[in-house]
Amino acid sequence: MNELLVPQRTGLAREQTAFRVLVVDDDPDMAGLLIHLLEDEGLETETLSDGQSALVNILASPPDLILLDVMMPGLDGFELCSRLKADDATALIPVVLITSLDDQASRVRGIAAGADDFLTKPVKREELIARVRTLRRLHETRRELEDRRLAAEIQRKEAIRSAFSRYVSPRLADRIIHELGEGGGPFKGQARRSEVVAMFVDLRGFTRLTELSDVGAVVEMLNEYFSVLSDAAYRHDGTIFNMAGDSLLIGFNVPFPQQDAAQRAYRSAIAMVREFTQVSALWAHRFGLATGIGIGICKGDAIFGNIGSPHYMNYTLIGNPVNTAARLVQMAAAGEILVCGPVYETIRDLVPAGAVQPRGAVSLRGKSEPVSVYNVGAAR
Amino acid sequence: MADKDYTVTVAKDLEDLIPVFIKNRQKELESLRAALNAADFEALRQLGHRMKGVGSSYGFQHVSVLGKRIEDGARSADRSSIEDCVADYASYLSKITIVYE
Repeated sequence: MNELLVPQRTGLAREQTAFRVLVVDDDPDMAGLLIHLLEDEGLETETLSDGQSALVNILASPPDLILLDVMMPGLDGFELCSRLKADDATALIPVVLITSLDDQASRVRGIAAGADDFLTKPVKREELIARVRTLRRLHETRRELEDRRLAAEIQRKEAIRSAFSRYVSPRLADRIIHELGEGGGPFKGQARRSEVVAMFVDLRGFTRLTELSDVGAVVEMLNEYFSVLSDAAYRHDGTIFNMAGDSLLIGFNVPFPQQDAAQRAYRSAIAMVREFTQVSALWAHRFGLATGIGIGICKGDAIFGNIGSPHYMNYTLIGNPVNTAARLVQMAAAGEILVCGPVYETIRDLVPAGAVQPRGAVSLRGKSEPVSVYNVGAAR
Repeated sequence: MADKDYTVTVAKDLEDLIPVFIKNRQKELESLRAALNAADFEALRQLGHRMKGVGSSYGFQHVSVLGKRIEDGARSADRSSIEDCVADYASYLSKITIVYE
């Protein structure tokens, strides 16, 4: 066959609209007519003359609507339509197959290939425009719904992130949101048992502090104190389980496993002591108060999860290491970091020689066996 | 065909497309003749099919009518029917008058 000439565009300005139509037809006269009619309707258009290059083009830059001739050499309209509908990335792009008026078999094949609509040749202007307008409306409605769904999804995630951020570090919050998105999540279902590192921190000199007459100042100081502690805990991806009075309970290796949980606990404890020293110095200057923090760390099996009644529930950590850490923190003087033997064995390489004070086997209230205790925060 | 059948009314806004359309029909006529000489009925069927689709789309009903006859003739390998159609097509293209409205 002789190569047919390709009609020139009629000079209509190609406006940047939100709706782009791709015409795939190997007959240049038919493609030229469709393009002319679509551009007359104010749509952005593009034309390709074979199925294979259309497939490449669509994947690279998905249009909003495809008008597809069924009879083309190589990859024909049915095959191209089937491929587009089988691919998640392109399945939602409406495809209008252009068939002959008398070709019932092509319509049936087109339906099987997943075509959204049909346009018959000879093409009638009114029919083309009516179909395109309908599909454009559908497309815009779908896009609007999708935008709304995405906005709601982002809002929901932000609400979750903001709620979780009170308990866990931003990094952990992101991970939790990601896992929730996949249908799982650490806060779902039953409480679990696992090895955890429990760390208690509390304030020495708290009683004197609460006796200050300026309530506003007390609250401001407590906020300052908890900010130092929670910042240090979050930098090491600890999870805050409880905040009561001047006491803070932080868990490591929970809700997600941390190979270096004890090391993280130790590093955050060191950071807390160091950073609180500056706050303490300011308070001493301003209020004449002697303050400091004591820390107790222990590890072992514990239960964690949502515990409570349907009306009141806490993400809670309970078990031996929590009880022992609570006893250790009671023993700890200002600046001391008291750890149980198993924690010390895990972190001993990190602790400078001069910073360790073994306290021997200590009998703790409520414990049948003595616990070996080390202060790893001794002044160097 | 009566004279009035050689007068085709085309939408005014398609005027710019028509010169190329007509040139392509002339090329199509050559392709039909070549396919006929080669007794290439598949090529004739495809050409007829294309004429059928494109003719009326532009307002040239007779092109579509001839296209359908050629497509049908090619399917049944009816050479003489196709020859008549090609002769008719040549005559039609030579006499055609286009009015834009």
